[in-house]
Amino acid sequence: MPGSTNTILEQNPSNDKGSLITILQEVQKEEGYISQEAIVKISRHLRISRSTIYGVATFYSQFRFNPPGRNSIKICLGTACHVQGGDFLLNALQLEIGIKPGETTEDRRFDLGRVACLGCCALAPVMMVNNNIHSRMSVIKLREVLSKYE
Amino acid sequence: MSIQKTQNITIKIDGKQVRVPEGSTVLQAARKADIYIPTLCYLDKLKNYGGCRLCIVEIKNTRGFPTACTTPVSQGMEVTTKSSELQELRQEILELVLSEHPFTCLICKDKENCADFMHTIRKVSITTGCNFCTNNGNCELQDLVDYLELKDVRFPITYRNIKPIKDNPFYELDYNLCVLCGRCVRICNEERYSEVLAFVQRGNSSIVGTAFGESQKDAGCEYCGACVDVCPTGSISEKMGQWVGVADKSIRTTCPFCSIACTMNINTKGNRIINVGPEPGKRTEPLQLCVRGKFVPGDITHHPDRIRKPLIKKDNKWIEVTWEKALKYSADNLEGYRGNRFGLIGSAQDSIENNYILQKFTCKVMRSNNVDLLSGYPNKTLLKKIHEFHSVFPPVQIDDILKAETIFIIGANCDISHPIIENRIRKSYKAGKLVIVANNHYNKTYNFSNKYVIYQPGKELSFLLLLLSELITRNKNKISKEISGFLKNFNIKKAVEDCGVSVKEIKDISASLLKSHNLIIMVGDNVLRTADNLSNFKTLLNLKLMMKKSARCQILFLLDEGNRYGATLAGMHPDYLGGFDEVDDKALINKWSDNWNTKLGNTGGVSADEMVNNISEDGITSMYVIGDIPAHTNLSGLEFFVQQNMFLTETSKYADVFLPLTGFTEVEGHAINIEGELKKINPVIHPLEGIHYTWEVISEIAGKMSEKGFNYKKTSDIFTEVKSFIDLKNSSAAKNQNKVLPVSLAVSGKTDKFPVSLIIEPNCFHYMGNILSALIPDMKVIREEGILCVSPELAGHLNIKDGDNVMLTTEFGKSKQRIKIMSDLIGKTAFFKPVWEHLYLFGKGLSLDRGYINVKIEKG
Repeated sequence: MPGSTNTILEQNPSNDKGSLITILQEVQKEEGYISQEAIVKISRHLRISRSTIYGVATFYSQFRFNPPGRNSIKICLGTACHVQGGDFLLNALQLEIGIKPGETTEDRRFDLGRVACLGCCALAPVMMVNNNIHSRMSVIKLREVLSKYE
Repeated sequence: MSIQKTQNITIKIDGKQVRVPEGSTVLQAARKADIYIPTLCYLDKLKNYGGCRLCIVEIKNTRGFPTACTTPVSQGMEVTTKSSELQELRQEILELVLSEHPFTCLICKDKENCADFMHTIRKVSITTGCNFCTNNGNCELQDLVDYLELKDVRFPITYRNIKPIKDNPFYELDYNLCVLCGRCVRICNEERYSEVLAFVQRGNSSIVGTAFGESQKDAGCEYCGACVDVCPTGSISEKMGQWVGVADKSIRTTCPFCSIACTMNINTKGNRIINVGPEPGKRTEPLQLCVRGKFVPGDITHHPDRIRKPLIKKDNKWIEVTWEKALKYSADNLEGYRGNRFGLIGSAQDSIENNYILQKFTCKVMRSNNVDLLSGYPNKTLLKKIHEFHSVFPPVQIDDILKAETIFIIGANCDISHPIIENRIRKSYKAGKLVIVANNHYNKTYNFSNKYVIYQPGKELSFLLLLLSELITRNKNKISKEISGFLKNFNIKKAVEDCGVSVKEIKDISASLLKSHNLIIMVGDNVLRTADNLSNFKTLLNLKLMMKKSARCQILFLLDEGNRYGATLAGMHPDYLGGFDEVDDKALINKWSDNWNTKLGNTGGVSADEMVNNISEDGITSMYVIGDIPAHTNLSGLEFFVQQNMFLTETSKYADVFLPLTGFTEVEGHAINIEGELKKINPVIHPLEGIHYTWEVISEIAGKMSEKGFNYKKTSDIFTEVKSFIDLKNSSAAKNQNKVLPVSLAVSGKTDKFPVSLIIEPNCFHYMGNILSALIPDMKVIREEGILCVSPELAGHLNIKDGDNVMLTTEFGKSKQRIKIMSDLIGKTAFFKPVWEHLYLFGKGLSLDRGYINVKIEKG
């Protein structure tokens, strides 16, 4: 959505440096992530340096810096999943789709994140793709699950 | 608002009574009493931070352990700085700090004996311990470990395995050594306002970095080196002087690059410069410099290409000869060129002493007044006008800028030419002062200005006249009446069209200027380096008169090179002798004839530009050049040409004799800066083997030409002579400066033949005329000279994109150029940073005196 960052900036006065986080949140909501171009625009608007904005944004885990994939994978590494081998699952998944947590595949098919607990520890280890929980996951089941998402 | 008198408070630190002003911190009080409190994040003069927690102290009747750097003193406070409990706490804090820094060496029980065995295996790419660290011996962590007697670190060794950044110009970054003290981030943001560094990520992965990990250059780094100076570890380390060890001497001297002439500290070991930076152990209060002052001195002094032996050209080849032979050869030849056939060009980066001797040599020995500095000021009388102005209105002191209520900057790119003044502008802006900028394109000052207007390149005079004509309608008095007489024929509409600034903007600026009680007008190269400079000067003086009587209005003329004023005052000028004494004034000529015990000629000489233009059989036939000048093809017409320089350059191709030259780090002398302050240049090292002082060389040539009056034993002899003849303090009261000056109303338009205005950035990145980017590869990365930048509008008009080739045509020549689109340009304008080889495009002579030119740019 080109121009949406501009619209957000127009609604926030340029002399209010305190609105940085609000602006970042709105930009992410609009565009799905914080792009380099967005940071340049915010920097000009608020007269805060790009580095500082990036520093603030990376402090909060809520912001992402690459476009979301069509399908969003979340691997649970909470206590139960961890004990049940969530780590192995994450490693195998990283090898399979070739990205690290926080990144998006080049074809934008998947993005990957890890979460602390999805609240269904009895089904550990779990993996969530979009809003579907895949329970009692294993490395062997991985490819089959992934093939359902295009 | 009445000024509150700060009261002194007495406190007790470790049983010692200390009296400090109210508002001081406990740490400041302790420093005053010479009591050491360990710190890591603390930086003098910056806002208190309280990040590292190492300066914790005990205060009687106060709960816990407050940090000394953030706790203000109060009457009767009793502070303990050293106790076993404090030491234990500090040790633990330091352990945590060290858990991510290679620490095995720091706590090794054999570390005292280590150096004896280890020093042959340095220079590994990854620093795993002190002996592999560039900062070994000058590391604040080492000091802290010693003070706190830390014997062990109980935490596991964490090596972050971050790839060191080695391709950065001038300094390397190894964040594996970073302890996140935040000094670099704070100095970058709070002192220099470069705003490049920030903390990114959080928790374990916290690191100092830039947006998206872009390079420092892309993030807008100005390479001021402030972060390098303050880094307590080897995390940010200067490429020059790495692994050389700790300096054995630190000497303060004066920077020659721009007219601010900052005081700089140079660390040396043996006869070698290690770096320019704080003395060992004094990182918390570094002197602020810019890229030229911080990184260039060592690089040029110890440059491998420096010539150390005199050369004579035989059959188009350079032959190394002894000094005796070279000077005899020069003297014998120069003998035949006495009189107006001879010309000498010196450098405004050279000391008063050297320039005085060069001038004395030319006038007395060579009997010629063709003596000048390599200069960009077309009107030869400008400096005298400024001299007279300052004899009535003392020059602006750099720190006055912070006191001004309003700063009005015209035609200056201080971020490049005078970075320390830019720093004061930024500070003023951040302190809520009004900063108004008028320039021909957007530059970095834009981010630190409240109002920014863009005028057409070269239209400073129209702009100033518009301001003046607006001011006389707003502030009606006797003076305005007088000025309006001069402006009778001034066509406002035409001027507005000409300079491209709207009437609304002019009104707005005028109103702000009149409202100010304390105004500083800064005048940059675009106003001074133009054929209009004298008219600009007069208009500015009238502007000053139009300000309210009660208001303070100062004008700061941003002269270019370090000793421009001092060198001219010493007499390096075709029309003046020392102290701006006119050559055509009989009484003054007699005075100087008596001074020098000779008979001086009273015909004015020609400027450097005219000298080169006048090279011909019946014009100039012989020249002596100090440093480098643009290699003009006319130089081939010289019959005898001596160049004295540090390096062989393009110009040397035309020279008959080449004499080695000392750099400013090797000589003693004086310079006068923009503030009118006489500053001492101290020798940091001895001249490299084989190189003689300029005054020695000139005196010897004069001696060989059987001239008396050159028997100097040391530099201070010359200074004594200069002082006895020239008033270096500018205390002679000149004529009344509170007078309205007539102004010219020149309005010149563009021709259809050359429809584009090309802004030429004056190249202040040279030393004695030697272009720095040609000598220092890292400088090339930063400067990107010789690239034609065009405005987006012009690019659209010509249908060209980044990297395309275009033909640049001026009335003096044409050249094929690659282009880059520069979003800071407005309208049909282009921008160019020339080096000497491009100057033929901009004029017939040396062509340093242009800030803009009308050109044609065509595709292909």
